[in-house]
Formats: sequence, C-alpha cells, structure tokens
Amino acid sequence: MRRKLQYSLAGILVLAIGLLTLNVAAGYKPALGLDLRGGISVTLRPVQGQQYDKTSLDLAVERIRERVDSFGVGEPEILRQDDAIVVNLPGVNDQQQALDLVNVTGKVFLRPVKACASAPTSTPASTVPTTGTTTPGTGTTATDATTAPTTAGTGAVVTPVTGSPGPSRRVDTTPPTIPGATTSAAVSTTAPSDVSSTAAASTDGSTTTSVSDGSTTTTGLPFSDPKTTQVLPTRDGGVCQVGPANATGDASPSAETITGEVFSRDSAQARIIGGGWGVTVDLKSGSSGEGKWNQLAKECYNGSAVCPSHQLAIELDGQIQSAPTVNAPSFTGSVQITGSFTKAEAAKLAQVMNSGALPISLQAEAVQNVSATLGKDSLRAALIAGAIGIALVLAFMFFYYRRLAIVVVVGLCVSGALIYSITSLISRFYNGVLSLAGVAGLIVSIGVTIDSYVVFFERLKDEIRAGRSLRNSAQRGFKAAFHTILVADAVSLIGAAVLWYLSVGAVRGFAFYLGLSTLIDVFVAYFFTRPAVLLLARSKFMAGRKIMGMEISVDGNQPLGATS
Amino acid sequence: MTDLDTSPVEALPKRSVFGRLYHGETRVDFMGRKWWGIGVSAALILVTIVSLLTQGLNLGLDFKGGVQWEVPSAQLTEAQARDVLTANGINAADAKIVTVSASGVARLRIQSAEQTAEVRQKVISDLAKAAKVDAKEISSNSVTSSWGSEITKKAVRALVVFVILVALFISWRFEWAMALSAIAAMLHDVLISVGIYSILQLEVTPATVIAFLTILGFSLYDTIVVFDKVDENTARFASARLPYDDVINVSMNQVLMRSLNTSLAAILPVLSLLVVGAGLLGAISLREFALALFVGLITGSYSSIFIASPLLAGLKGRTPKYRSLRAPRAVGVDLERLVLGGLPAARRESQRIRATAKGGEASAASAVNQPAHVVLTHPPRPRKKQRR
Repeated sequence: MRRKLQYSLAGILVLAIGLLTLNVAAGYKPALGLDLRGGISVTLRPVQGQQYDKTSLDLAVERIRERVDSFGVGEPEILRQDDAIVVNLPGVNDQQQALDLVNVTGKVFLRPVKACASAPTSTPASTVPTTGTTTPGTGTTATDATTAPTTAGTGAVVTPVTGSPGPSRRVDTTPPTIPGATTSAAVSTTAPSDVSSTAAASTDGSTTTSVSDGSTTTTGLPFSDPKTTQVLPTRDGGVCQVGPANATGDASPSAETITGEVFSRDSAQARIIGGGWGVTVDLKSGSSGEGKWNQLAKECYNGSAVCPSHQLAIELDGQIQSAPTVNAPSFTGSVQITGSFTKAEAAKLAQVMNSGALPISLQAEAVQNVSATLGKDSLRAALIAGAIGIALVLAFMFFYYRRLAIVVVVGLCVSGALIYSITSLISRFYNGVLSLAGVAGLIVSIGVTIDSYVVFFERLKDEIRAGRSLRNSAQRGFKAAFHTILVADAVSLIGAAVLWYLSVGAVRGFAFYLGLSTLIDVFVAYFFTRPAVLLLARSKFMAGRKIMGMEISVDGNQPLGATS
Repeated sequence: MTDLDTSPVEALPKRSVFGRLYHGETRVDFMGRKWWGIGVSAALILVTIVSLLTQGLNLGLDFKGGVQWEVPSAQLTEAQARDVLTANGINAADAKIVTVSASGVARLRIQSAEQTAEVRQKVISDLAKAAKVDAKEISSNSVTSSWGSEITKKAVRALVVFVILVALFISWRFEWAMALSAIAAMLHDVLISVGIYSILQLEVTPATVIAFLTILGFSLYDTIVVFDKVDENTARFASARLPYDDVINVSMNQVLMRSLNTSLAAILPVLSLLVVGAGLLGAISLREFALALFVGLITGSYSSIFIASPLLAGLKGRTPKYRSLRAPRAVGVDLERLVLGGLPAARRESQRIRATAKGGEASAASAVNQPAHVVLTHPPRPRKKQRR
C-alpha cells in the first residue's frame, strides 16, 4: 500500500517535471491567440440561401490555408467550426489584405491553356535554369525536385470513355510512364518568352501582375479572373497561361465553363484506368453540359487559337489543379483523365471536380483587428492578476489548513506544469492557440482545482471529528471526497463539451481550457493529492500537531475535539 | 447528572461565530429561514424582469452588428473622431464615442453601424492621421448583424442542450428532484446576473457570455457538492426516519465551511482579475469578463444554499416516503448533534444512557465524539497484527 502510494506520487512528479523540461528544452511554448498578440481574425460563413455541404466547406478551408501559406503569414489558424470558418492571422494589420487572403470562391473553371512552363520561368536566374533545354526524361525529375507533392500538373490526358476505348487509351499509354514527356517538352521550348510577354500584354487587372513582376512564388497565389487571359500557377510549381473560362467568347457569367454545370453532380471518381490511377467523370446531357464541354474539347483537340496547347486546365481559386491534354474532339457520356497520378492525387482531383458542383460563396461576417500593444497589455494584465490571485488563495489556504496547504502548493505546481505542457504540445502539433478567453478559463479553473482540495480537507476534518485517527481519516476522507469531486467535475466536463461542440470562436477556446483543467483536476486529485495526503498522514510530520485547529494523535486514543 | 436537553449550550466551549465555523460546529437552521432566501431572490428576480422588460440589455457590437475602432490616444478628441466619420460618409450622429480610460493610456472607442471593408480601412488610416499614431496601433472589430444573431442563437442552443444533459446526468446519478432543484438554482443565478447587467446597463460582450456560462457551471458544481452530501445523509438516516428538512439542514451545516471556502477561493482570483487586471492595469477585456464572474460566483454560492436546497426539500418532502415524517425540525443542540455525526432521537436515548452512565458528559460535541474507551466498560480488543 505504502509502496504503491510512493510510486504514484513519484510517477506524477516525474511526469509533470519531465513534460515541462521536455517542452522547455524543445522550446515549445503555448501559441498565443490574436487577442493576446495582435492580428486580424476573420469569421466567414456561407452566404445564406445557397446549397452547400461540409465537404465544400472543408475544401474552402484547405484553399484558404494554401493561400495564406503562400503569402507567408506566420502561424495562421484556420478552423472550421460548424458551418463557419474562422481565420486568425497573427501579425497582419491590413484588413484589406486579410480579406483578400480569405477570398475563395470554390468555383472550378475549365479554361483552355495557351502555354505552360513546368517551373517559374519569368525569373531566368532562379533555381531551375535547365527547364528550357532538358530532355523529356530529366524534365520530369526536375518537376519532382521542386518539392511539389503532386506531379499531376500537365502530364495528364483527357479521353472519352465511351467513344473508342481501344485506340484512345493506347494514345495515353505513352504519357503515364513518362508523364509530361511530349507536352511539357514541346511547351517549354516556347513558354519562357511566350508566357512572360503575353502576360505582360494581357494585364488588364492587378491580379495578373504578380507574374510579370517576376515574384510568383513569394507574393502568393493570384486571384482567379475567369474573364481574362491569366497566368496561373499549377500545383507542381509551374505556370500556365490560360484563356478565359468562357469558351464561346460570350462575356456573360452563365457562359463560363464551370465543372458544376458541365459534369453531373458527384460523378467524378478516382479509379484505376489502364494500369494507373485516373479520374472519370460523367457529362451532363444537353447543350449546357455535353455541348459546352465538346465545344471546348474541340477547340483544344484542334489546337485552335483559343487553345493552342491542346490542354484544358481545371482551375480552382487561381491554381491549376490539372491541365490534361485533350485526346478526342468530341465526348459522349463521360470523360476520363489519366496520367501519372498517385491514388491520393486522383482522389484529390476528383474531390475538386465534385466540389465545383456546389461552389460556395463565403461572406466575412466578423473582422476583428487587435493591435499588438493592446494584446500585450491584456496578456500582461491577465498574468499579473492571475499571479496575485493565486498568491491570495494560497495565503488563505495556509491560514486555514496550515501544514496541509503544502499539498495544495505542490499540487497547483503539478497541475500548472501539466497544463502548460499540454497547451504547448497542442500549440505545436494541433495548431491550437491560447486566447484571452482561454486564459480567463484557466484562472477560473484555479477555483475549481482549489475546490477539490477543500472538499477533501473538509472531509478529512469531519472524519477526525468523528474520532478517527488521522491515518484512517485520510483514507476514508479521500474516498468520500473523490466521489464528490468526480460527480461535480463530470458536470463541468459536460458543460465544457457542450460549449465546445456548439459554439464558435472565443467561447470555444474557453470551453477547451475549462475541460482540460477539469480533467487534470481529477487526474491530479487521484494520482497526487491522494498519495501525498495519505503519506503525510502516516508520517511524523503531521503527528501530534494541531491540524486545522484540532489535536491529532496518531492512534486516535486520546480524546479529540476542541483545543484551540 | 446534567440533563442534555436543557442546558447543553453552557457546556460547549465558548467560541465566536468564526471559531464555530472554523471547527465545523455550526448549527444554523437553514430550513427555518428558507423564506428569507426565497423572498430576497423573488424580489431580485422581480426587479430583473422589470428591468429586462423596460430597458433590456445593452448588447455589445458582436450581437447587433456594426464596427468599432479603438484608438490609443489622449490627443484625439471626440469632435475630431466625428469629423473623420463624417468625411467617410458615416452618419456621425449615430456613432457612439466613449473614452475608455485605463492606467495612463486613454483609448477612444468609436462604434458605428455596419460599413464596407474599404470604408473601415479608410477610417483606420484617417483616424491614425488625426490621432498622430501608427495605423497599426488602432484596433478594430466589425461584425455583420446576421452573424450577431447567429452567435446568440448558438449560445441559446448550447444552453438548452447543456441544461438537458445536466438534468439527465443528475437524475441518473442522484434523482429527478435534485436535477430540478439544481437547474432551477442555476437559472436563478443566470437570471440575476443578467439582471445586474440590465439594471446597470453594462455592455454584454462575448466575454460576458462566456462568464455567464462559467456561472452555470460553477453554480451547478456548488449545488452538486451540497446534494452529494444530502444523498449520503439520506442513506445514513434512512433507518432513523428523519424528516427531510432535517437531513438537508444537517447536510448544509456539514458543507457550509466547504461552500464558504470554495467560494472564497474562487472569488479571490476573480477579484484580483477585476481589481488588479482591469482596474490598475486597465485591460478592458478582462473587466467585462471578471465583473460578470464576480456577480455570478456570489449568486452561485448563495443559491446553492438558499434556493437549491429549500426547493429540494419542498419537492422531496411531499413524496410519500417523507410526507408522514412531519416531526418538528431539530434545532439548536439537537441539530448540532446530528451535524457532528450523532444519531437522531430514536437512537439518541440509548446512547445518552451509556454516555451519562460513564461520567456525565454534557456537551453535544463531546457526547458524539466519545472515543471508544470512554463508552466501553472493558478495554478494547487489541488490534490484530496486520500487514499494511
């Protein structure tokens, strides 16, 4: 029994100290929320009255993350909470910039490709000087080396499924093994000059200037403007110049070819086609579906002025997801895209194409901009107030429980170390942040934690008053007190969980830290407070002393009661 | 031989109120004073309802939508700020401008109706120019009104789910009467806290809502600790057929010190947040939070004693099991004996005989706390040697 208690006590102390040193040594710190260090927080919600599903929201989150990352904002926090998306951008001060960053439409356009380059070419002296003259084989490895996870970019091929399966598939069999061989090699000889000159010529809006500036990758993703000819990045780090999405030349938005209109809803599927992964998708019948697609396909197949490269780009929010070469002039029923896709890439492409069926337009519902000094002031005030609060509580505990209060002090240190470590680890690995509401939640939880001790010690007093020895009282007292603590903490946990699931923003941060500290409270009560007090009760340290105003004898044989 | 029931008080050690509290020897007849508590609460709730109906709540920006800028500058005057707003096409008459002073740094807080992103950004740069501060120093917050109502809707939904879950949990763990009383006490706390915000017309912000939610949790936590004790005592006095009022009185006296201690321990950090954090250091966002908490913690401790328990007694006392037990409440030293772990009247008799036979102990406290060797006529059996 005694051995067990000692193990438990030593275990939790080692755990707390170990975790703390680990975090300090590794330099993990709790990431501070916007309200504590300044920045802009934008809350987005789908514009009411439109049809959307969770997947398109998740996809929007992913798009925003890619955008924000491409602009190099440090430690952004992008979360989907129910049907709202919260984007926290620390250190950003310009509201307009923040709103631009989160502006994603989710529309997937099909745009004819004018020309492609497999890597950023407008900066000649940059990292990939060899692209222009490489042989097909090394060309592929070059794109692989540009850290892009997907090599799907330009090597894919579009073929009709139902048309003439035999011959057309034979056409694809060359590209899948050496992706991008013929196409990218052909394009790359012309692209460098072509892309930059036409881009400069066609700039009619500020959105396309990023390429002609020669700083494509550093300024982030450009905005999609389906009405003009644009130079847009591909997923594998290259760029393509694409024409307007309205293949027919009609300027009205309804003429834009978006996947949602051309393809049947949720019909895009990743599957194995001819030995490699690809995507099949069904065409909607009628002039707005099949008709529109075939119009575009014909232009590309023929390599007309609209689509000289034979490629058709699938573009989502300013990024080309894939630009397959069109291998047939007309399609009926369905389309398949093949190339050197991995299973994940094919699935991703299918998901993108499906999401185009339900594009989501988001609205910035709340924009909060906290200046860095205001944040710092709040943090400092919260910390100082917290420290004074704890000091007051501890002073009160010492006054009331005398020596037993040592257990409270060490216990609070253990809880503190655990909470700090867990918060740091969460900040490090799960992108969570500690906001002002969270800090407040923690300060409140001091009260809850102290309560566990008070419940236990009062219980202990009851038992002693009933004539039991200290040693016996500690054991019985803990059993009864722990019962109470469990029930009361369960209610707190229910509250925290409900708040966490059903609320947005600050309330959520608060709920999280309330829940965390409640769990730690139970944990510390059982693994620290219990062994600590039980061992103290057996030791000479408490024997014969006035504890809580009562004379204690170790064996309980002397009359107890009032002595002070 | 002293009669226990006629003059026991003299035999108790003389102690101050605090001393009695400290030693856990209270014998407050809470149930006898239940109408005080209920009366005070009824009055407060009445005032709250009247205030809510007449002036309503001063809802902050996040609930009704709009824009708020905060400029840290002593130089910027209200008139200048209004000029900036007018220059940007905002109706300055509708704007609300207040100076939020905090430890040395005055902040001008400007609120207006919803604006477009361009206007918001323009106002920031104009304000920065007028106040001669860096635009980065200006904080702003803009919320659409639809989002505001969404937040409110979400908070209400969370509250309803929370109440249902907690009611189920308490019913499962204890009993339905306790669930009902605990939730009534909790709603009482929230109503009174909201009432204070309404009466003083303090601004309700998301931080305030968080604080109200905390109050819910704390109020329940407090009540459950009391009820846990009631539950335990119900089992303990089951065979003694003690009226429910007595059981509750005993339980409340037993947990009184814990309730006071806990409340004090919880209020101290909040008070520090309020006085030091918000008052001296001037963190306004802390004040909004701490004030609601402070009010809530006090009502929470109050309601667990004066609302939840009388309600429980009312509900349980009417059940068939307890309706027949209409004995006069134990008060004074009888109550104290029960509180200290003695037995109720039926068994008390035999114990008194034994105790008085030995040496005429008088105090209720000591009568209950007789160690074994005083009561027993023979020495206790030696403890078995057991490996521990």
